[in-house]
Amino acid sequence: MDLDELYRVLRGSHVQAVSIVNTLRDPLVVLDDAFRVLTANPAFYDTFSTSRDETIGTALADLGEGQWNIPELRLLLEQVIPRSTSVIDYEVRARFPQIGPRTMLVSAQRLNHPDSGQRILLLTIVDATERQQAEADKDILIGELGHRIKNLLAVTRAIARRTEVEGRNAEEYRDDFLGRFDALARSLAVSAQHSDADLAQLVHAVMKPWLGDTRAITLDGQGAIALLPRQAMSLGMILHELATNAIKHGALSVPGGQLDIAWSLAEDREGHRQVHLRWRESGGPEASPPEATGFGTRLIRFATEVDLRGRAELSYRPDGLVADLTFPQ
Amino acid sequence: MMIALDVQMMLEDNGYAVLGPVGSVEGALRLLDDTRPDAAVLDGNLRGQPVEPVARRLRGLGVPFVLSSAYDNATFADHEALAGVENVRKPVTEARLMVALEKALS
Repeated sequence: MDLDELYRVLRGSHVQAVSIVNTLRDPLVVLDDAFRVLTANPAFYDTFSTSRDETIGTALADLGEGQWNIPELRLLLEQVIPRSTSVIDYEVRARFPQIGPRTMLVSAQRLNHPDSGQRILLLTIVDATERQQAEADKDILIGELGHRIKNLLAVTRAIARRTEVEGRNAEEYRDDFLGRFDALARSLAVSAQHSDADLAQLVHAVMKPWLGDTRAITLDGQGAIALLPRQAMSLGMILHELATNAIKHGALSVPGGQLDIAWSLAEDREGHRQVHLRWRESGGPEASPPEATGFGTRLIRFATEVDLRGRAELSYRPDGLVADLTFPQ
Repeated sequence: MMIALDVQMMLEDNGYAVLGPVGSVEGALRLLDDTRPDAAVLDGNLRGQPVEPVARRLRGLGVPFVLSSAYDNATFADHEALAGVENVRKPVTEARLMVALEKALS
C-alpha cells in the first residue's frame, strides 16, 4: 500500500486505518501541526529500538538524539500543512541510537484528523540503508567485471601477438593461437564454476583434448587443492604449453611414449602450503633445451616465477622432459 | 601474466634490459631497494593493490616512468605521485610504449 492509498483509507475510516497502520512494515508516525508525535506504529518502535513513552508527545526534532532536527526537513514539512504539498523520499543520513548509521527516506502528506478535523502530518520512513549498500556493491561488481573483460581481451591480444608467425602458414598460426585461446577458456571455465578452481579439475580440463582413449597419459593427485582464478589461468596456460610441446617434439610425438602428471600439496619449512606438480615424459625421444627460447618456454617460466611466484625446473632427460613446478597455494 | 610477458618482450625487442617484471607492490619496492632502473612501466593496480607507493618511490629515486593501465587517468587523479604521468593504456601497442618511454627518458 502506498502513501496515497493509505491517506484515502485514513480519511474514510478511523478504526480500519489504525489496524492497517499497525500492520505496516515501514515505520509511520503522525504529527500534529507543531510536529509533535500523536501516534506511531509498531514498525517505528521496532526500527528505531524505541518505546511509546519516549515517542508520543515528543517533537520530531527531539526524537532519538535529534537526528530528525534538520532545518531543511523542517522547512519542507512546514510547506506540507498549509499548501497540501507532499515530501517524497527525503534522504536523512544519520547515526541513530541503538541502530547506528542509517539512510532513511522520509515521505510526508497532510491529512485531517479523523476525530477532530485537525490538520496533521503523516510521515512514513523507509530504511534504505541495505538497499543503497546493495546498489553500491552492485556498481562495484559491475565495474570489476568490466575491468576483467578488458583484461581478458588484453590477454587474448597478447597471445595473438606472441604466437609464432615466422616460417608458418596461416592455418598453423590459427591452430596454435586457438590452442592457447581454448586452454585459456577452459581454465577460466574451471574457475567460473566455483569461486576457487580445483587443481585436479583444472588438469583434466586443460588436458582433455589429449586424454581421449589413450592410456599414454596418467593423472595422479590426492584430495582437493583450491587455486585462485588467476593461479588457475596461469597453470592452465603452462600445462597447455607443456602438452603441445610433448605432442610436437616430446614423448607424445612417438608411439609408446608416456606422460605422467602428478601433483600434491605439502608444507615448506615455514609451514606455508606449497603445490608441487611433476610433469614427467618418458619413452620419447631425447629431450633437449630449445635452441632459441621460444614463447612457449618463456611463458612456462614467466607464469611460474612471476605469476605463481614459484619455481620451474625443467630437466631434459634422455627419454623425455621432466618439469617440476612448485608454487605457494 | 600474458600482458606483462608481452610488454617484457616488446621492451627486449627494442634493446631494453628488463629487470622485472614484478607482480606486486611489495615485490616492486623490494626490487627498488637494490637496483635503480633507468625507467619503469607501471600497471595502475598490482593484484588489487594501487601502484602509488611504487610511483612515489620512483619519484624519490628520480626514475622516470610511464603508466599502462586499463583504467582512465581520472582514476589516478587523487594520487599525487601519478599525476601528470603518461598512461599508454592497456593493451599497449609497441609503438606507443616506445615513444612514451623515450619521452620519459629524455
